[in-house]
Amino acid sequence: MDALDPANSLHMPEMADMTFAMDFLIRAKEGVRNIAIALTETVSADARALLKQQLHQGIELHQEISELMIRKKWFHPYELQEQYQLDQLSANQTVEIAKQQLFPEDTRRKGLFDRTPDEHIGGDKA
Amino acid sequence: MTNSPEHLAGHESLDLHEVINFKTLCLAKSKLMQGLVFDQDLKDLMQKDVIQSMQALQDLQAIYTKAPFETTVPTHRPTPILN
Repeated sequence: MDALDPANSLHMPEMADMTFAMDFLIRAKEGVRNIAIALTETVSADARALLKQQLHQGIELHQEISELMIRKKWFHPYELQEQYQLDQLSANQTVEIAKQQLFPEDTRRKGLFDRTPDEHIGGDKA
Repeated sequence: MTNSPEHLAGHESLDLHEVINFKTLCLAKSKLMQGLVFDQDLKDLMQKDVIQSMQALQDLQAIYTKAPFETTVPTHRPTPILN
């Protein structure tokens, strides 16, 4: 199966959105944890106030993303067998995509810019 | 809390460094991924995150100026990659 096989375009938008939503959810979750950890290291009143406000905002964002994903049936926190199927399917499909060659082998593009980054210090020879 | 000191403590500043970098990456991702997403509701929620994150970063940066290692910020990367 290659990138051009029509079988790969079946449910593609849905699968892609599910992946992006999962990334978004995990980022929101990690944000809540990071800020909570930072908060426990903080003493200054203004830093605490800001982190606390952003913690609440993060918790709310996390809830909104979860609710959206549950509504779209991209996330099944209660139907664990459904969730198990989704987990396995996304892992399998992503492994299949990872096996394909999606990009040109040589992706060096520096010659296309009018000036290579760090040219003046020999950065192109790094 | 007594009168607030001029500088943040070292441990607070390092956590602020981590939170700012995480937030910066999230902002970049939410902004860029909107171009790949198909679902309009998901896209709208990401846009909401972009707006909130820009404000959040601005607030974090303002407090970061009180880090003990605070210094003037040049408009471009100051040090070359190679020595």
